[in-house]
Amino acid sequence: MTRSRFLGLGYLAPYIVGLVIFTMIPFVGSFYLSFTDYNLMDAPRWTGLKNYIELFTSDRTFRKSLSVTLIYVFTTVPLKLAFALFIAYILNYKLRFINVFRTAFYVPSILGGSIAIAVLWRYIFASEGLVNMVLVSLGIEPVNWFGDPTNALLTISLLRCWQFGSAMVIFLAALQSVDKSLYEAAEIDGASKFTSFVFITIPLITPVIFFNLIMQMVQAFQEFNGPYIITQGGPLKSTYLLPLYIYDEAFRRFDMGYASAIAWVLFIIIMALTLVAFWSSKKWVYYAGDKRS
Amino acid sequence: MKSTLKAAIICSSLVPCILMPAHGADLRMSWWGGESRHIATQEALTACGAKHGHTIAPEFTGFSGYLEKLTTQMAGGTEADILQVNWPWLPLFSRTGTGFADLRDLSDQIDLTQYSDKDLASVTVQGHVQGIPVSTSGRVFFFNKTTLDAAGLTAPTTWEEFFTAAQELRAQKGDDYQLFNAVSESAQLLVQLAVTQKTGKDMVDPETNRVAWTVDELAAGLLFYQRMVDSGAIQSRKDEAAEGNVKLYEKTSWSQGQIGGSYEWNTTYFKFSDPLAEGQVLDSYPMVRFADAKTDGVYRKPSMLLSISKNSDNQDAAAQILNCLMNEPEGITALGVTRGLPASAVAMSALEGAGLIEPQLRKAHDIMMNSTGPAVSPFNEHPELRGVFIDTMEEYSYAMIDAQEAAEIIIDSANDVLSQFDPS
Repeated sequence: MTRSRFLGLGYLAPYIVGLVIFTMIPFVGSFYLSFTDYNLMDAPRWTGLKNYIELFTSDRTFRKSLSVTLIYVFTTVPLKLAFALFIAYILNYKLRFINVFRTAFYVPSILGGSIAIAVLWRYIFASEGLVNMVLVSLGIEPVNWFGDPTNALLTISLLRCWQFGSAMVIFLAALQSVDKSLYEAAEIDGASKFTSFVFITIPLITPVIFFNLIMQMVQAFQEFNGPYIITQGGPLKSTYLLPLYIYDEAFRRFDMGYASAIAWVLFIIIMALTLVAFWSSKKWVYYAGDKRS
Repeated sequence: MKSTLKAAIICSSLVPCILMPAHGADLRMSWWGGESRHIATQEALTACGAKHGHTIAPEFTGFSGYLEKLTTQMAGGTEADILQVNWPWLPLFSRTGTGFADLRDLSDQIDLTQYSDKDLASVTVQGHVQGIPVSTSGRVFFFNKTTLDAAGLTAPTTWEEFFTAAQELRAQKGDDYQLFNAVSESAQLLVQLAVTQKTGKDMVDPETNRVAWTVDELAAGLLFYQRMVDSGAIQSRKDEAAEGNVKLYEKTSWSQGQIGGSYEWNTTYFKFSDPLAEGQVLDSYPMVRFADAKTDGVYRKPSMLLSISKNSDNQDAAAQILNCLMNEPEGITALGVTRGLPASAVAMSALEGAGLIEPQLRKAHDIMMNSTGPAVSPFNEHPELRGVFIDTMEEYSYAMIDAQEAAEIIIDSANDVLSQFDPS
């Protein structure tokens, strides 16, 4: 028994070592650094709550960056989930070449986070890019996507929405697991496709919606590549998400202590929203076989 | 007997380590640059490595992200043995002259006599030579001669001529044409140029280490920038952003000659001339001035230095390679002018003798060296100070604040940054 326990730990060791070295130590280290003044070249100097006080009392950039991040998350996540569910619903039909379509729709998720796609995005939405060419050909005025602060964040959100593949695949698996007899019964009772979708499909896949919601929310809070490559946080900091601010403070202004404090505030926000989501899930997530449901 | 034998084996294995000369070392060298510099530097490292019997692993990248990488390595003490360092970063990495190895301690390996006292002074912090000055660089005016000729214009020598030419170019060729380019860092340096020409002062006062300009002087510089936008001489910040902040040399309008010129580093001539369509000629011109300018206002500084890590286990070997790159025929020939015209006397003479200095680079270099201007403080390019300047200019460009407010914000924020470097 003891031997097999050690064997199990041995198998887990590579993961545990990686977790401790690359996650836990930096995690604890950044918490300590958030209470210091640390410029990377000199030893950290303990400053207590100074960084946090500055963040919440006098840092206009933090307030701007935080509001941009929240707007980004609260628009991107629902949009992406809705789009992923919509496409999954279509791909759940028995169509010819359905596997080709499923693969094609998943491909953006593999490519989406890459630098090359971010650069491509920049050209697609440029003033004389593909999107504006289409708009002009339809007789619509071209849009200043990157130069106008109100539009710039939308282009970044669209890039994230475009990478809907992983959420879509999970939705697709959930849709396929819904008992077909429920749809047949509903059809006999005269329910339309839309009614079946709202009253059968949605309730039965709420655990998956909940899972995707949490995962996508956490990922959206950590968005970096898109705004870094496409807009560099501009114009007027309208796409200056918190991860960009953390990066700039740490590696451009060499204020690792302050950057750590921002990172911890971001962590607490994500944690709080996740807890709210878990708390609310009792009221809207249906688990088949759960007696409380 | 057994233990004696063991001790003998251990001792004999240690002797080569103790007595090992600066030969056969495994070194690393890191730098930033473009394709031509990467290729030339690797060739030079191979040649110098073969000559001195060392192996040098290259670590190279573009400029973007290099500072972040270097900072992280310096913080962890894992930086390469030989490092390319931007001159304005000296206050960041070596505030007291102890950030890098003192090259005076390695002068038996490095021939420091090839460098002028002025050049060596620029890389010396509190008496410690922190690197070898590689070259001098500065901003110069490039104009597309073909575009100007086609519109019957000559390159402007004064700012009033500049605005007249901008108007004339659009009248002749249409609104798709603009005389000049200025965005982000270039726009900031144009504002600095205007204020320096008017005041005769660099942005940072070397005596007080605070901003030398008054709010009114800087506000006048910002209004001058806005005049360039309003007159159609340059594109607005908003229009630049709409294009996706594409680099000038990647723009079709640049390659087709629809943008007439720019204010760029003298060493980047070919970066801007190469993308031009066939038949287009780019040339360097003397500084455009105000009629009442106190100075040309040239922004000239040591471009970069090559330093040796204070943590290197093979400082002598690294010094040998560094000397070979800068002062010995193998390095000089391979590197050519990929880091600008060399500051090393022997390298300059060898390259000139071999006809390896392109006339266009020579011209841009001479214009930069012959122009007048106050000494430039390395703090001009402190990342935080520069960031504040550019961000505030953006707010001004979007009419969120007026010139006076922008100037106040820039000066106050810059002084905050500079105060961090006050002697404690």
